[in-house]
Parts: sequence; C-alpha cells; structure tokens
Amino acid sequence: MFSEIKNRFATDDVEVKRKGLYKVVVKHERLFALIVMLKEMYDYKTLNTITCTDWIEEGHFALTYIMTTLKRNETFMLQTMILREEAHTKSLSYLFKQAQIMERDLHEMYGIKFEGNENLKELSLENWVHTPPLRREFDTLEFVNNHLTFRDGRDDNIDTKAESKRLRAIKKAEKEAAKKAKESKKAEDVQ
Amino acid sequence: METGFLQEQKVLEGDLNSENSHQNSVDFLMNWFRKQSIFVLAYGTGCGAIEMPPTFTSRYDAERLGIRGAATPRQADVIIVSGYCSYKTLRRIIRTYEQMSNPKYLLALGSCTVNGGMYWDSYNTIKKLEDYLPVDMYVNGCMPRPESILEGFIALQKEIGEGKASSWQKYEENYEFYRKNQEAVLGKKVEPSYEADWYLYEGGL
Amino acid sequence: MSNKHITIFHGPQHPGITGNMSVELDLIGETIQKATTHVGYLHRGFEKLVERRTVIQAFTIVCRICVPEPDPNEANFAMAVEELAGLEVTPRAEYIRVMVLELSRLAAQFLWMAGQSGSIGLYAVGQWAIADRDLILDLFEELTGARVYHMYIYPGGVRRDLPEGFLGRVSTLLNYMKKRLKEYDDVFINNASFKNRAIGVGVISQEEAIANGYVGQVLRACGVEADVRKDAPYLVYESLDFKVPTQTAGDVYARALVRRAEMDQSVHILEQVVKMMPEGEVMIKMPTHRKFKLPKDDTWVKVESARGEFAYYMAGDGSEKIRRMQVRGPSLVHAYTLLESLLVGAELSDVALIMNSLGICPPEIER
Repeated sequence: MFSEIKNRFATDDVEVKRKGLYKVVVKHERLFALIVMLKEMYDYKTLNTITCTDWIEEGHFALTYIMTTLKRNETFMLQTMILREEAHTKSLSYLFKQAQIMERDLHEMYGIKFEGNENLKELSLENWVHTPPLRREFDTLEFVNNHLTFRDGRDDNIDTKAESKRLRAIKKAEKEAAKKAKESKKAEDVQ
Repeated sequence: METGFLQEQKVLEGDLNSENSHQNSVDFLMNWFRKQSIFVLAYGTGCGAIEMPPTFTSRYDAERLGIRGAATPRQADVIIVSGYCSYKTLRRIIRTYEQMSNPKYLLALGSCTVNGGMYWDSYNTIKKLEDYLPVDMYVNGCMPRPESILEGFIALQKEIGEGKASSWQKYEENYEFYRKNQEAVLGKKVEPSYEADWYLYEGGL
Repeated sequence: MSNKHITIFHGPQHPGITGNMSVELDLIGETIQKATTHVGYLHRGFEKLVERRTVIQAFTIVCRICVPEPDPNEANFAMAVEELAGLEVTPRAEYIRVMVLELSRLAAQFLWMAGQSGSIGLYAVGQWAIADRDLILDLFEELTGARVYHMYIYPGGVRRDLPEGFLGRVSTLLNYMKKRLKEYDDVFINNASFKNRAIGVGVISQEEAIANGYVGQVLRACGVEADVRKDAPYLVYESLDFKVPTQTAGDVYARALVRRAEMDQSVHILEQVVKMMPEGEVMIKMPTHRKFKLPKDDTWVKVESARGEFAYYMAGDGSEKIRRMQVRGPSLVHAYTLLESLLVGAELSDVALIMNSLGICPPEIER
C-alpha cells in the first residue's frame, strides 16, 4: 500500500510517525484521488479533521487532512502545500459531510477559499474586517494595543527588572560595607 | 453570646436600627427587601459559569442567602458576567442587561473582566468590562471558587442594603460614555437599535 | 397564526443550553423545521495565543480550552510536546496521569447527569450529582491546588508527586461511589419520567454515525465499540482491564445508559490504578531545564475524553514556540453536522434534552 501511494501520489516515502500513525506529503492535484482511494479501498472511512499550518517564510500553507480507519487504530495524515497568495482548493464536503464545517472554520481563520462549499459564512467571529486572525502576518498584540484599553497598573506596580537591579545594588553595597567594616575591625585588632 | 447561626444572621441582616443609616425608613426597607432576594440570571457567559452549579446547589447552597436563579432577564436582579467576554458575547450581554428591569446589578467574575486576565493579548476579548457596562462588584480569581462568589454576593448585598449599589443609575446617566465605548469595539450597529419596537407602531403605546 | 413559521433563538441566554451557544429554530407549532447552530460567543483565539507563547507559557492556557473537563487538554498537550521533543515519561507519572484523567471523566459525567436531569425537570438529581462531583474536585484540589483548572499534567511528567495518604482517600471515595452510583439508577436512569421522555428521542443510525465521524457516546450508543483507550491505547491503558459499554438503540436513553455504565468502568479503572501505582520519579530530568526545542515536525495525538475522542494536531518549527496547534474536540461535528440534522422534526421541548445527551461543549468548538 505504501509503495503504491508513493509511486502514484507522493514525492517522498510514507513516514511512520509511531505505531498506527502515518504521514505522507502529496502533490496537491493528486490529493483528492488519494483520499478517495483510501476511503474506498483501504477502509479509511472517517475524516477526523482538516488543519492548516502557515509557513509564511516559504510562502505556502500546509493543509493536513487526517483520516482514520473503521477500526480507528490507524491514522493517516495527508499533507499538501498550497500557495499563500489567493489560497484556494477544492471542497471535500461532497465526500464527507463534516468537511463542510471544518472548511468553514479554516476559511474564516486563514482566508482559504474552498470551491464547492456552499456555506462559508463567519463561524466564530462577527463583523470581522481585518486580516484573518490565524495568518502569521496578523499580530494580535498590536491589534489589542490599537483597539482596546488596558487598566492602569497599581501605584505600587513597578518595573520588575529595574527594581531587582536596584535591590541587587543595595545588597552589593551592604555586602561591601560589611566587608569593609570587617577589614577595618581586623586592622584594629592587629593594631 | 452571638456565635454560629446568630452571628451569621447578624452579619447578613445588618442592624435595622443602625444610627449610621442615612436613608429614610422607606428606602431602608426597600433596600432591605431587595438585598434579601436576589434573582440571578441564568446566563453563563464564560468559563466562570462552571462554578455556578456548585454555588447554587446543596454544598454551598446560595439559596440560604436568598440568592437563586431566574430564567429570563425581565425577572432577574443580577447578571453575572462570568469571565472573559468576547465581542460577540458582549453584544448579547448589553442586550440582556438593557432588557433587565431596575434595580439591576452586575457582578463580574474572574480576572478576565478586570484586566483581560489570561487573554490579555487575545484579539477577540475585551479587557476592561467597566468601560462597556457598569460593574457593581468584581470577584477576582481564575476561576473564583464558590466561596469567593458567595463572598462577592454578600458584599453586593451589603452595598444594596446601604443603598450604595446603584450602577444602573450610573449607566443611565453616563449612557453616552458607555455607548461610545460599545460602538468602538462592536461597530456602529449595537443591538438593539430600538427603532422597530412594537410600541412605536399601531397597537403599541 | 395557523401554520405560520416562527423563528426563535434557543440561547445564548437560556437555562436549557449547554454553555454559551445558541440554536436558531424554525418552528411550525411546536415542531422544528430547521435548526441552525451559532457558535463563537466564547472565541478567544487560543490557537493564535499558543503560537506566540513558549511551551511553558502555553501550558498554562491549554487547560482552559474545555471548561467542564480540562484534563484531556493537558494530557494531549503534554503528549504532543513529548512526542515532538522525544521525551519518555516515567511509569509513575503515567499512572498518575491515568488517575487524573479517569477522575476528571467521572466528574464530567456527574456534570452531564446534572444537566441531563435538569433538562427534564428532575432537579433533585442535579443537586445530588453536583455535590458528588464536588467530592472529586476536593481530591483535585488536594492534588493540584485548584478545583477546576489543574495545570497538573506537564510535558515530561506531572507537576508534583501525590500527597501522603492520597491513594487511600481515592479508594475511600471509590467505595462511596460504588454504593452511591446505584442510587442514581433508582432516581434517574430507571425513573419512569426520564424513560418516557428519553426513549425514542434523538435517534441516530449507525451508518450515519460512522460516515460523519461522530465519536464517543453517540457512536457507542449506536452499537459501535469505539474507544481511543482500546483502539489506539495511550499511557498505560493497555495493561488495565476495562470494558467499552455499548447500546444499540441510538437514542437519548441509550446514550444515558452508556454514560452510566462508563462511570462504573471509570471506578473499576481507578481501583486498578490505586493498586498498581508504582514508585519512582514523577518528572523526568530535562537536559535544558523546562525549555523545549520543538523540531520542524508535526504530530497528531488523541485521548478519550468524557464526550469522545479529543485530539490535537501540533507542529513545531525548530524554535521554542509551537508553530501550530489545532484542537479537535468532539463537539464541532456534533454541534453542527449532527445537531442540525437531529433537531429537524423534534419537539421544541426536547431541544435541551437532545443537546445535553450529545454533550456539546461550546468552548472547545470555537477555542
């Protein structure tokens, strides 16, 4: 099975992650044929999830389709790369009913278009007009600083780094003073 | 000697003949009634809601203090904002809060309502609840234990009894301030618009 | 008003909803024509927050993903980080993890029992179940310092060793539970008022359940013996003796029976764990103290939560931070694909009943 997958669909070998978990990187155009093959011929009846990782340095999204067998003891991770710019791929909802909602989630979070999915409305967000939040270029801290106000700190709220530096200086001075006192005492004793 | 039951009764009921009371007797009586029966709206807005069932059931038994659940906003006295508050929920909380009838009180649970808490850098939660709605009492903790929730309630009852808890008046007086803040995060269309309500049309008022 | 469609929102402010979510219902009379689920009221952007934190910082927030049952999240997170970083956990830590996971399953089932009985007006059971759940939370408090969010299962082991005499207190609780759970049969499971409401309501067929990827009690109540602990064992579940209870009817009552039988199994597992608990360290010695370097790799781990398979996808990129963590709980598919189809044709009064029996937990849908 693994050699067939390698020859027909993938560039690399199938990687065995641990007992019962396999991963293969597939060419994007052969992905759906492989999913159909796994489903029809090898008993991978359930689609667990579709997930996406943003590799902004390399300019692509890694889409991972995770499928499980009927006995649920073997899991296959099918990874494929799509371009970040105007990211789009085909929908899987005609094969798996639950793919619809997973794609809707990814569409909202990454802005990936799934052709053939009839409902890609907002899922968790409401009236969101900014960059899709899970893309790497979206900086959530900057967004928070621009849009929301924080409560002022307490009056006794101090810069911890400066404070520890100050305390360390005091301790050092004390130590030196003690040392000096000791030395002078010693000197007195000698005298 | 005032111990056990007697002591608790004294703490809870206060002294009817207290000379410190600056209220007239009708106000005093009204406040006393209000503080003895607090109906809490059943709306779990965040994760703090998981400590509500223990608070209201047999172990901690908030009902012995006159605190119990209410199903609808029109019948409720207190709304609990239990933890982080996403924009989508904030819109619903504002709607629910405005539906409640006066006097109404707002109890905020958890560090998230105070200053964002765990989610201080999250793009979808507000950081300071009192900018958007008037807060009577904060209960801190992540999440607050049932004991602290009860303590918050007792402190609220004390304020109600003294006539100090009047956040709903604050909300009405400073409505523009709150509305401005609400629109800043939720956009211009903050529900409800109150433009298409039944009483503006035929058959209404 | 005859034969007129009414659209109402069931939630988010509603006593009969499992958390902060809502279902939009199209009704003719009392019968539901169309149901649309709305979530997002609890969206905090966990997956974004994790990306900008180191492993030790992310560890503190992952347990907050699912409120009624936070420990599967911690276990998943720890297992995924261990797998990426190549760490092996000591046997004692594995047994303690199993103990924590099973205790939290038991606590979550009690919470479900309270919700399920509350949805049909049997409030006495709710009072009992929440009080009995508190006994477990007391144990958690002793072990971890917190009632709800434990932050206990840390990558590389568990945070602290067991307190003195803790196992004794666990077995005392288990002896109490064995007696107590039978009383729940009388007041709740075998109660005619529950049976009349639950039998034949919310029926799911086996083919549909397998094809659409339903998990947990939904699948087991249709006669499929599916349990991650048996199918793809993790931790030490392989060496423990337990059964996977199943039913064939596929309705609300069958799911209740499955859950009730699982509580017995949890008690049975816990008894074995208490007996078999080995001695030794609970945390491995790490080369760089509490600093994890995750290689550019990805993995998929799953555990069995009280509501079904709970899985994490995690990818590292060679730095200290996690590149991507996707949380895949049972509720996303249950709340959308399943609930929307299951509610069509149901009565309005059964909505809370059906939602509770599916065990939908909104914070894990939208993260």
